[in-house]
Amino acid sequence: MGRLHLLRPWAFPAVLLGLLEGAARWLVPGSDALAPPSHTVMAFGRALMAQGDDSVLQATAFTLTSAALGLLLGAALGLSLGIVLGLSRRAAAMGFLSIEVLRPVPSVALIPLAMLVFGFGYRMEVSVVAFATFWPLLILTQAAVRQVEPQLLEVAHALGLSPWARTTQIVLPAMVPRLFIALRLGVSIALVVAVTVEIAANPSGMGYAMMIAQQSLAPDLMLAWLFWIGVVGYGINLATLRLQRAVAQRMGEVNLEAKP
Amino acid sequence: MSASPLLRFDQVSIHLGGREILSPTSFEVTRGEFVCIIGPSGCGKTTLLRAAAGFLSPSGGAALRHGKPIAGPSREVAFVFQDYGRALLPWRTVAGNISLALEAAGIAADQRRARIAQVLATVGLGEHAAKFPAQLSGGMQQRVQIARCLAQEPELMMMDEPFGALDAMTRESLQDEVSRLVQSTGLTVLFVTHDLEEAIYLSDRVIALRTNPTPDKPSMAAMLEVKIPRPRDQLLTKEHPEFLRLRRELYGFLGHH
Repeated sequence: MGRLHLLRPWAFPAVLLGLLEGAARWLVPGSDALAPPSHTVMAFGRALMAQGDDSVLQATAFTLTSAALGLLLGAALGLSLGIVLGLSRRAAAMGFLSIEVLRPVPSVALIPLAMLVFGFGYRMEVSVVAFATFWPLLILTQAAVRQVEPQLLEVAHALGLSPWARTTQIVLPAMVPRLFIALRLGVSIALVVAVTVEIAANPSGMGYAMMIAQQSLAPDLMLAWLFWIGVVGYGINLATLRLQRAVAQRMGEVNLEAKP
Repeated sequence: MSASPLLRFDQVSIHLGGREILSPTSFEVTRGEFVCIIGPSGCGKTTLLRAAAGFLSPSGGAALRHGKPIAGPSREVAFVFQDYGRALLPWRTVAGNISLALEAAGIAADQRRARIAQVLATVGLGEHAAKFPAQLSGGMQQRVQIARCLAQEPELMMMDEPFGALDAMTRESLQDEVSRLVQSTGLTVLFVTHDLEEAIYLSDRVIALRTNPTPDKPSMAAMLEVKIPRPRDQLLTKEHPEFLRLRRELYGFLGHH
């Protein structure tokens, strides 16, 4: 009885998988879109065993590396420019028009240009992911800087901190909780855009593998990739959340039990 | 050592948003003095303090420290903010918050530890160095802020209603602690409060400000010397005839007509 509640979250997926299995086997047998979960699991097992370019490990590594590098680039640029624009009203006024014109460009609309400039491979995917993650990080960083407690900045003035120390010791740490919101948004955008680029253009990674499965009319393999992409996304989200908690704890976000 | 006073306001007036907050006001603070500025809300006492600390410049007249115009905040001047909760870095421990003052002054890392331990001992927080501000009571947090100002080794300490948000018991013990500290270090203090008993109890001189100054009723309503012997005592001092006389005299300036 006591352990039963642990099973509760699994009840719905189990029922759904059961229905799906039944529907695929008996309602639409031999469908090009639907495969029974049992076949999907077997197809995933085969893909896991496969060697070379289309192996699960290779494809996953490609997508994650591109997404991570793109995010790193987009975040580094967005963060530094966001801090400058947040600290200086004049810089913000100067950058306003350019930002408002460029920001609404959908990142996937850049795929053709990126393909021309970089060809297929890591560089074009990284560049599109970087473009997509740059804007939200820029905007959120700028807002985060403006929301830093003004009295902390006065403290920095009164203590005579240098502008550099003021940025690294006051502004940046004060922004951390809001930066994590930006980071988590950036992570999910990076993954979405990386997979999109692979589905639309780049012949590598998880998105491409899924496209190939679809084009060779192998719904079991296609669904296996879809499921795997979901698992990877979930894992990354969990890891970001863990990181956020660890940092928060180090930065004195102590729970109330610790009060003397 | 020059003969000019530590702090001198010469006909200083301050306008903010088109309104005259402080009409031309003159006073001097000499080394080692404890001066309280008192007045009702909106009389410009915090504005005056901020001008003296260099956070804003006067609209008219001259604010001088050691005879030179105050151009901006200085490490020689420490500022204790009223809202300790927003003046401490929540992501740094107590020791880390003190360290900030030493880092700003360019003290080498290996010398900081001893200085931190010393100022924390001075304010009675020796055992709480590793805690974060959120783990401390309001009174203790304000002590951390005072300790950080002491670590700065200033010649002048500005205090903006530092005990306004604390309960009466904590306030009295902090008053005594600050008195003792000032006595032992020879620090000069400019202290803003709206509590007239606190002002008389702490200071050598009280400056009373009034709201809505006019040409014939300037901002400075009164300047009174407090000649009550030190060390002072929460019970005995407040029963001292001179204390009662000053209290009666200042009462009228605070809008209780």
